[in-house]
Amino acid sequence: MLATATNVLRIHPEKCTGCLRCELACSYMQTGTFHPAKSVIRVSPFEGHTSYAPYTCTQCAEGWCMTACPVGAITINAAGAKDVLDDTCVGCKLCTIACPYGTMFYDPDTRKAFKCNLCGGAPACAEACPTAAITYEGTATEDWLGEFARVRSARVLAGVR
Amino acid sequence: MATRHVVIGGGTAGMNAIRTIREEEAARSEITLVSAEKPYSRMVLPYYLDRSIAESHVFTATPRVLADWGVKAHLGRRVTALDAKANACTLDDGTTLEYDDCLIATGSSAVRAPVPGADGRGVHSFWTLDEARAVLAEIAPGSHVVMVGAGFIAFTILNSILALGAKLTIVEMEPRILPRMIDDAGATLVEGWLAKHGVAIRTGARLATIEDAKGRKRLRFAAGGDIVCDVVIMATGIKTNLEWLKGSGVTINRGVIVDDHLRSSVPNVYAAGDIAEGRDLITGEPAVHAIEPTAQEHGRVAGANMAGKDVRYRGSLIINIVEVCHLDVASFGAWDEAKAEAASGVKPDRPAYRKLLWRGDRLTGAIILGPSSDIWTTNDVGMLKGLVQSGVSLARFKAYLKRNPFDIKPAFIASKTTSALLPETILGRPSKAPGNTPVAV
Ligand SMILES: Cc1cc2nc3c(=O)[nH]c(=O)nc-3n(C[C@H](O)[C@H](O)[C@H](O)COP(=O)(O)OP(=O)(O)OC[C@H]3O[C@@H](n4cnc5c(N)ncnc54)[C@H](O)[C@@H]3O)c2cc1C
Ligand code: SF4
Repeated sequence: MLATATNVLRIHPEKCTGCLRCELACSYMQTGTFHPAKSVIRVSPFEGHTSYAPYTCTQCAEGWCMTACPVGAITINAAGAKDVLDDTCVGCKLCTIACPYGTMFYDPDTRKAFKCNLCGGAPACAEACPTAAITYEGTATEDWLGEFARVRSARVLAGVR
Repeated sequence: MATRHVVIGGGTAGMNAIRTIREEEAARSEITLVSAEKPYSRMVLPYYLDRSIAESHVFTATPRVLADWGVKAHLGRRVTALDAKANACTLDDGTTLEYDDCLIATGSSAVRAPVPGADGRGVHSFWTLDEARAVLAEIAPGSHVVMVGAGFIAFTILNSILALGAKLTIVEMEPRILPRMIDDAGATLVEGWLAKHGVAIRTGARLATIEDAKGRKRLRFAAGGDIVCDVVIMATGIKTNLEWLKGSGVTINRGVIVDDHLRSSVPNVYAAGDIAEGRDLITGEPAVHAIEPTAQEHGRVAGANMAGKDVRYRGSLIINIVEVCHLDVASFGAWDEAKAEAASGVKPDRPAYRKLLWRGDRLTGAIILGPSSDIWTTNDVGMLKGLVQSGVSLARFKAYLKRNPFDIKPAFIASKTTSALLPETILGRPSKAPGNTPVAV
């Protein structure tokens, strides 16, 4: 059995205020610039912007991105996160279509894929969140947003009929 | 005595199988690889063509790595016959290899349009490393390249040809481009986009002959004017490499028929990748899916079963993505099912397009087009795959999605697609990182 001594990003969506500090912190950590468009954690609005929640890679057991990569450019880093090796990635985008969670990203400037790598074990998003809506803890990963979002889709859906 | 595995074909499926055998086996087995080419990934060739990577980058295992994995390799050799009754195969140098089980993973090869001149100088396929080398040697800045065929493979090298500074014309027999990857509406957007980026497209064009013309090439058509160019690339389809299996005793239809353990009609003969005809995840019917992810999954499942595990495969999902001049184009599953309930949305100026296909409350196929600089395109690409792959019920969101096909994410999250996906693994355990294959001791 694989030891799961690794920490995961746990999302507490009800605590998110939509301040986007996680996106800023993430983009700064990942690219050295404050550029939310380069963040790999994305805050989504629910119920017409009455609530928010951050969404990012679950570091799933299959690692669809990793097993899809034709050149072995995605590996598992010391924090247990699937991590893209820039020098090996050719930018073919197969990982972006293989990841069924929509949490692979592609940078058209560098022509490389990128994703959440848990900042190597000290995730900047969790550090930056002022309300502890993102924590980094030793637990099994879960669908942190599903129920929160289900409850918060009634109004949007009511507008349909 | 150690189990003797013979792997025939060292492409994507074969190499994934070998790595998985080493990961899964309880006792060290003997692995012999026979491959007409050295192990490399075909789908990386476009990046070799545009010179963004060195040739060495395409290889998936060097002789040194194969030795580390304890693989006895016959590279540059072909298997010419399989005798399933005798548990043996014969190579083109006369060698006979006996096995306890074997994997057929010989993939496919390119087919050229059957016209006079198709085999002439300056006319190429683009399927193997050798062919990629030949094309690269002939394209110079300012060259005029004509691509015959506007299918997926043609599109995977389109950016590379433009990046080399060549002028590109695409000719296609069918009335439109990408006939087996996207629908008419999507194709119209892509054609408009390519025209804007200086790519000439001629559809409904039936090639008649290719002739030499003072050191250049002249293409004549059944109707319409000739085209004179420097290099012709024939991206006119592929065929499965099956011929050598005649008389082997293995049941063949469009490919080698395999069960949910990737076993052929002969229990100790497996098949994987482009050559295999296995279950389609969406239709449940046997199908040949000549794509990289199918070859990877097939190879891993076959490898695990050859190593003595009991791994059932759920079936493969057609997924294709290609970027042309910074426009992402992708399709999933049963995107072309005529009977499916469909809804689509288009933003012609971006351009962006979404088409969702339904069977009841389940998404069974999708098409997506959008600028690759738009992160929502990339995120939606993944989520659409997740929705089609997991088959979650979208009952609550169906009417909403039909009206708002660009708003995938809330439906994905609130339908608890993540819950459905998290337990899913191909081998029934967490995947191992590449490079962690156990080496010989
Ligand atoms: C330019 C290009 C771009 C592509 N882009 C994509 C993409 O973006 N996405 C995608 O999903 N797919 C893509 N593909 C398709 C993908 O590469 C194939 O689906 C995949 O390689 C199939 O793997 P395979 O192991 O079945 O066969 P292959 O990788 O073709 O391997 C077969 C191996 O068997 C060997 N062989 C053949 N006959 C014999 C014999 N008789 N004896 C011994 N060895 C033999 C061959 O030499 C080869 O090494 C692309 C292909 C090309 C050419
Ligand atoms: S884009 Fe890069 S990391 Fe992703 S599959 Fe292709 S080569 Fe691998």
